[in-house]
Amino acid sequence: MKNLVRGLENKNPLWLLESAADAMLVTDRNGCIVFSNKSAEMLFGHEGGKLSGLAVETLIPPLFREKHLAKKNEAHSVPRAMRSGLQLYGLKKDGSEIAIDVSLSPLEDGYTLVTAHDIARRRRAEDGYTPGTVHDIAHRRRAEDALADQSARLAAIVETAVDAIITIDEKGIIDSFNPAAERIFGYKREEALGRNVSMLMPSPHREAHDDYIGHYLKSAERRIIGIGRETLGLRKDGTTFPIELSVSEMKVGDHRMFTGVVKDITLRKEAEESQARLIHELESANDELKNFAYVVSHDLKAPLRAIGSLADWISADQSERLDDEGREHLRLLIQRARRMDSLIDGILQYSRVGRVRETKVNVDLNEIVKESLSMLAPPPDIRVEVAPGLPIIHAEQTRMLQLFQNLLSNAIKYLDKPEGLIRIGFETHQDDWEFSVSDNGCGIEPKHFKRIFQLFQTLVPKDRVESTGVGLALVKKIVELYGGRIWIESEPAVGSTFFFTLPRSGKKEYHENTKPGNPAR
Amino acid sequence: MKTPSQAILLVEDDEVDAMTVRRALKELHVTNPLRQVENGEEALSFLRNPAEARPCIILLDLNMPVMGGIEFLQLVKKDAALRRIPVVVLTTSDEQQDKIASFDLGVAGYIRKPVDYRQFVEAVRSIDAYWTLSELPQ
Repeated sequence: MKNLVRGLENKNPLWLLESAADAMLVTDRNGCIVFSNKSAEMLFGHEGGKLSGLAVETLIPPLFREKHLAKKNEAHSVPRAMRSGLQLYGLKKDGSEIAIDVSLSPLEDGYTLVTAHDIARRRRAEDGYTPGTVHDIAHRRRAEDALADQSARLAAIVETAVDAIITIDEKGIIDSFNPAAERIFGYKREEALGRNVSMLMPSPHREAHDDYIGHYLKSAERRIIGIGRETLGLRKDGTTFPIELSVSEMKVGDHRMFTGVVKDITLRKEAEESQARLIHELESANDELKNFAYVVSHDLKAPLRAIGSLADWISADQSERLDDEGREHLRLLIQRARRMDSLIDGILQYSRVGRVRETKVNVDLNEIVKESLSMLAPPPDIRVEVAPGLPIIHAEQTRMLQLFQNLLSNAIKYLDKPEGLIRIGFETHQDDWEFSVSDNGCGIEPKHFKRIFQLFQTLVPKDRVESTGVGLALVKKIVELYGGRIWIESEPAVGSTFFFTLPRSGKKEYHENTKPGNPAR
Repeated sequence: MKTPSQAILLVEDDEVDAMTVRRALKELHVTNPLRQVENGEEALSFLRNPAEARPCIILLDLNMPVMGGIEFLQLVKKDAALRRIPVVVLTTSDEQQDKIASFDLGVAGYIRKPVDYRQFVEAVRSIDAYWTLSELPQ
């Protein structure tokens, strides 16, 4: 130890300055630098070259130079005390400026020891800032200004937020309470601050909230923080209301704080309820309609059948007592009973689409067209051309059969040419297939294009062509249930083409609310 | 029918429908006696009544008051003494669920009542023809 001290005593005292981590300069009474250490050379960007011999003003930005000269003269007129903590700017060799703390220590004979600290570097060390975040005092000031600005903005956001924003500490004590919270809960800010947040909750949360926090602080098990939930809030007037609560956690110093954002969802809940009610009403209306169709099939048909049978018997049993007019009337009566029967069948068939679900399978439309044609058995003077390679579609077999059968039957029914031609074509598009069924029949005027797809609408008196007006309505319903479109192009006396699309993917498949437990059909 | 002496049991609540069956049978010269009951419950007591002879066939409507056709089928097919009597459903219903339930319960046929009387006669003619040909266990 003694040796060490002696060794130090023998050293040139400048050695101490040389090895100091702080930038150090010694100036003479004229402000000329007579000594500089390595740190100083680095700080001012004069690596490898001594500062000695330079005027100290060299290290001061031009803006401050004059002031410095004035001060220096003034300083020399009075004995100089040590001054430290001056925040100044230094000028580096490359012309850039640097924020520095400067301490001046007067030495003997008019010499001054100048110690300079790089403020930015010190800040970085103090705050554990990552290098590059703050380079100098100007940046820091800008950052401080920005921070103040941001705080003001954040405060404004909290103050004007539509949702209640409430912060609490680890004990559940309310620390902040924004205007929306006042409005939503009915407490003034001053009434709420300092009180336990559980006052804003109805039982059982009210009693349990302290435990909730305790449990979280102990176990870190998140039940609401970062998750959020719908729960109930309690207003000052004792009423409860539905809220959506989200909670986040933050650290302020060594304390944990929790921020709750509360959204009053009374209106949304009401809307949800009325929507649910509406859906329920629609469902029951739909159920009623389904039942209606079922009841129609039984309860309307029985009397109709009775009318038909009785009329038949009268005309058979009483034929001698009836004159021609009476027999004709009975014939018409029986015919109308039959027509009503087909109408009821039509309604039932129409209502079954979408109401009754059949398992979807891969249906080969080539087979469907073949089957339809064999069922319809078109007369020999009608030629039917079917495009080869119709696709296979994932659908209900019966619906696909009804689709093609009705369109083909229509084409056959209204063919008025000696050489009939029916063509079935299709095109593959990106999302769907477009099918066409064209004929060279009587055609339809454009003004009827809409009407023909409506239920029970026919263009020819029913006595001439026995038609219920269900076929195209049924076709349209099937196509639309599968997410496709149907339209017609036609020229009177020349022919008609019915186009329809069916989606290629199963994505547009329809959903229906067939109740579980219904037999698959 | 194979055995003209055996009764035909008609389970039907609609009077005109019953008249239609009766008239059609008469027109087709089917001589089997026709016994009519108005619902499933009456049909069960008829079948379980020892005083009544067992019918050779049951013509069953589905939609009836008190006990409908499907419920009747459920009971009669559980009854070892009655399950082999052929039941032909004669109904208005074109609903798949009715057809499925009926065949699941072992009906011998399912015929929709035609609105047209002539077609009705043809339907009854087919039933008669078939059950004249078909063997039945005693």
